[in-house]
Amino acid sequence: MQPHLKKAFTLLALVIIAFIFVRSLVVPSSFGQYGWYRGDSLGDIRNFPVEYAGSTSCGEENCHKNIYSVWIKDRHKTVNCETCHGPSEKHVNNIREMPEPANDSRDYCGLCHFKRVARPTTFPQIDPDVHGENMRCTYCHNPHKPWFI
Amino acid sequence: MDNLIWGYVYPNEVEIQWSILIVLYPYITGLVAGAFIASSLYHVFGKQEIKPVARFALLTALSFLLVATMPLLTHLGHPERGIEIMFTPHLTSAMSGFGYIYSFYLIIVVLEIWLSFREDIVKKAHSSKGWKELMYSALALFSYDISEKALHEDEKLAKRLAIIGIPSAAFLHGYVGFIFGGIKANPWWSTPLMPLIFLMSAIVSGIALLILLYIASMKIRKHAIDHKCLHSLAHYLWVFLIFDVTLELLEIISMKYESLEEIDIINRLLSDKIAFTFYGVQLTMGIFIPFVLLLLVGMMKNRETLKMIMISISSVFVIIGVFAMRWNVVIGGQEISKSLSGTLTYVPVFFSQEGVLPAIIILVIPFIILRVITYILPPWKDMEEEVT
Repeated sequence: MQPHLKKAFTLLALVIIAFIFVRSLVVPSSFGQYGWYRGDSLGDIRNFPVEYAGSTSCGEENCHKNIYSVWIKDRHKTVNCETCHGPSEKHVNNIREMPEPANDSRDYCGLCHFKRVARPTTFPQIDPDVHGENMRCTYCHNPHKPWFI
Repeated sequence: MDNLIWGYVYPNEVEIQWSILIVLYPYITGLVAGAFIASSLYHVFGKQEIKPVARFALLTALSFLLVATMPLLTHLGHPERGIEIMFTPHLTSAMSGFGYIYSFYLIIVVLEIWLSFREDIVKKAHSSKGWKELMYSALALFSYDISEKALHEDEKLAKRLAIIGIPSAAFLHGYVGFIFGGIKANPWWSTPLMPLIFLMSAIVSGIALLILLYIASMKIRKHAIDHKCLHSLAHYLWVFLIFDVTLELLEIISMKYESLEEIDIINRLLSDKIAFTFYGVQLTMGIFIPFVLLLLVGMMKNRETLKMIMISISSVFVIIGVFAMRWNVVIGGQEISKSLSGTLTYVPVFFSQEGVLPAIIILVIPFIILRVITYILPPWKDMEEEVT
């Protein structure tokens, strides 16, 4: 083989070897252990601190029993307390650690209730341009008992 | 939004996800494959009349190949993650092959260009000074042997590479068609003919682009056009147009003849949603008019300027027609609902990551790259010789 072709093929071989080398460094050793992902990621996820306590923890021990009993009977019972009030694990463990104030902005309610063609027609939806004069939804609607105006 | 939707559609279809950038992806890879196959008409099949554009075709293929990934990376965002497809390809998806097929083809094209330009590179290395000398010497890999024996070896290897190159160009583009053809939930895409349709339209768009670039470069350089070469390219364009239209019509005719459950929505798609881009642009402008014009070119004697104009118009129409074909496949396929009883509408936006502006920018970049490459490796020598 001609020397220049030898050089070209050596260069090509070096590029391929470099790729294999970089790949061996970059792809985690636990990749493919259980499936097409990094096996160690399961441990990493398990070790994340728990942030959400769940809705039942709000209604337990008489803390928020009244509002809980209103909410659990109404249509927003499928929307957990922490959906609007934020993660509460710290607050449940220590009542002095207050959660963030509830998100009651118009856009936040709109994530579910602004009119979208993809939503079932029976689902309560409003056209934000003509409904409610741009006021916050909670001005008229009680989020714990949404039909109560 | 309501007026963009007809009938019953599923909620997750309302927003059309594959935008104009995904139209561009098969379009650009098609131009690459087409230009490469045009160059191999000389390199492999020894068609001497193509020689003036053979090396230029390789440079065109490389320029477009270098941007072939851009539409996908812009569409998906996070281009830094693109390499993951090569580090951990998930083999159950046809798309996972992209990184390897693309890289393999890139190596073939670069090697092919290097071998065909090596003599020029070595001569330039000898005749230039300073950083240019260094650049050309590096490009020559600091080997300056351009004896007859060495060049003969180069030619032999280049021919072998081109022989490997044709199936890999066909594979690169056929596989893009396979990705669409393999989507069984979509009746507009799901057909085993799709890889072949994509390949044939790729070849016609590549040849048409080459014709236009050849005429444009000769006009810019104020040099006479080799009409024999031009007519030969026009002839191949005509032949591949026949294959292309046969396959495209075969698909539609068999769909209509079989009249399976999806025929109603397909009819609605063809008669309403993409009627203009399909019958008007893709078939009439992109295939029928160029077909007739090129047929006339083949029949006419003398009148070289008129023939050149007719070939140029045909090439422009073919290039627009093939773009419309990609549009009709990619966008058309998403404008019918998987429910088979509703349609949606794609409204392109201009300024956005998925918009028309990035698409235009991505389409302009290969021409800039081509200008730079032709400055470093001028293919003019063989484009401008032996013109009578």
